[in-house]
Parts: sequence; C-alpha cells; structure tokens
Amino acid sequence: MNGLHCPPRPALVSSLATATMSDRKAQRETLESWKQIAAYLKRSERTVRRWESREGLPVHRHGHQSQDTVFAHVDEIDRWMNHRTRPARPAAASTSSASQDTDDQAVANRPEAPNRYLAEHDAITCTIDCYIAGGRAGDSVLMRPAFHPEATMAGYCQGVEYSGSIQHLFDWIDANGPAPDIQPRFARIEIFETIAIVHLEVQGWSGKMAGADSRISEVFTLLKRAGEWKITQKTFHWHDV
Amino acid sequence: MQLYIDGCKQGNSQVMRPAFHERAGFFGYAGQELAVGTSFLFDWIDKNGPSPHIRPRFVSVDILDSIAAVRLEVDGWSGTLAGPTVRMSDIFTLLKTPNGWQIIQKAFHWHS
Repeated sequence: MNGLHCPPRPALVSSLATATMSDRKAQRETLESWKQIAAYLKRSERTVRRWESREGLPVHRHGHQSQDTVFAHVDEIDRWMNHRTRPARPAAASTSSASQDTDDQAVANRPEAPNRYLAEHDAITCTIDCYIAGGRAGDSVLMRPAFHPEATMAGYCQGVEYSGSIQHLFDWIDANGPAPDIQPRFARIEIFETIAIVHLEVQGWSGKMAGADSRISEVFTLLKRAGEWKITQKTFHWHDV
Repeated sequence: MQLYIDGCKQGNSQVMRPAFHERAGFFGYAGQELAVGTSFLFDWIDKNGPSPHIRPRFVSVDILDSIAAVRLEVDGWSGTLAGPTVRMSDIFTLLKTPNGWQIIQKAFHWHS
C-alpha cells in the first residue's frame, strides 16, 4: 500500500514553509506558457504537464480564459523542484518501451500500472498526496493543483461551519502554518468511471488553528477532467478532543 | 435523499431543493460537456419533466459523525432529456446541519 503513493517528506516540507514568507516579498519572475515552463526546467512540455497533473508542479491558470492559458512563478517552481516528492516505486524489472520523452528519471523508474483501475488509483492517491503536502507545509500554494477551480468544502471545525468556496480551506491552511506530523490513512477509494470518492483519516494535525494533535475524517469527491483527477469537494468531520 | 428521488420522478426541482444545502456543489459530465453548479441540475430536472419509473438503488451509505457519503445508482430514466437507456451513478455527500442532513454535493457519472 505504501509503495503506491508518494512518501511524506516532513523534514523538507517544514523548511519549505519557512522559505515561503521571504519569497513572497520578492519581485516575482513569471513564466507565461507551457513552453517557457518546459524551457526553464529543461524538460519537454509533455513532462512538465505530467508533473503538474501527477506531482503538483505549481502551475496557475488565468481566470476566464481557456484551459491551456497558464503561467507559473519561478520562485514557486524552484521551491517545488528543491522539495519535489518523488514517487517511491520499485524500479521496473524490464526496460520500459515508453517513448524517449521519459527524461524524468522518477517516471522512467515507475512501472506501468498493471491495469486501468490501478492507474486511476495511483493518480488519485497522488492528487490526495498533493493536498497533504500543502497541509504539512502550511502552504496552500502547494495544494492548489489538487483542486478543481470551482471546488467547494463543507464541515464543522470547532463549532464553526466552513461551507462554500475551497478558498476557506486555503486561507485556513496558510493561517494554520506547518503541521509536520500529519499522518494520513486511506480508508477507502472508490472509482466510478469519471468520479471517485476518497475517505481519508488524518491524525496528528497541528498548527495555530488545528491545535496540538487533531484528528479529522475527510471525504473527498473527485472528478476526472482532461485526464486529471481533481478534488471537487472536501467534506470533513473534525473530532473534538 | 427521498426528496431528491421524488424531485427526479416528478420532474420538479422545487421538490428536491430543500434537500440541498444553500451552498451545495454539483459536478459531472453530461455527454462531453462538464456540468457544474446545482442550477444546472435544477434546470435539467425541470426541462426533463416527469420520469416516474426511475429505479434508485442505494449502493452504500457511510456516516462519519457529522458527514455522510451516499452512493446511488439510478436507472429507468425517461423524460425529454434522458433516454430510456440512461443510467446515473451518483455520489452524494451530506452534512448534518442544525436543520438536519443536507446534500452538500452531488457528483455523477452518466452512462449512456
């Protein structure tokens, strides 16, 4: 089970959160297209698109424009590259016959999922891992790629109802700050063609908002959109101590 | 959930609206088109009209304290928009509010 999803990197992630504050003050250099992002990372466009969908490369989309009008902040890209969570998968037994575009070593080492269900399952756990990485760092920028732009949330936290835009979550994550000891457990993943439901049990959430050692039951619904699984809703129950 | 099913059968969104939280979400593909927002659902129900013979099956109901997830399979659709072969797989999430359990999102996959 553990081999199927990206491993937690708590030590790296907390230093990442510290870097965020100073980075945001600096003048931001931006990359204005997939081509520029690919050139900056010295990878193909296909690879950087895959990094965005599978590993949470922080790419932003211009509102109200077509899906492919993207931009990225160089400081965010640098941070992501420095602390990139590589999928921990055993090396493939035989050489993959995939195209020459496997310039990304992590992907080259990843065995093809043996069937379509497992491929979808892997993609969904990576989306959830992206959410958890943002929670650990206390940095909503890291988790935004996991969410559909119109995602919503619902639930009660310490008596307050948080229902509506997922922006409530992003604000909470940033205000909460690092939570390096988060332990997520997948209780259930069910996939129905283009929709999926994930029940995640999370322990050890700490921070300014969360307190010392909180436990949350979370139910995510996801939608497969242009080949990518995006969270459309986070519903949660906060277990008061 | 029964209000939702009754609304589908009668083709009247007014029947199901009280079951939905005021900020409920709605996501899924209708054909190739991505449908987002409960207004899409309510319009669709009203335009589709009565669909008296739908067969709803509750596949799972999971309750985690103040939240719940319900898996519903519905076939036997009729009406002006749905054909007879249509089947709908739904995931509902619900929130236990002071006003009772309310649907906070419907996500669906449309089999046609």
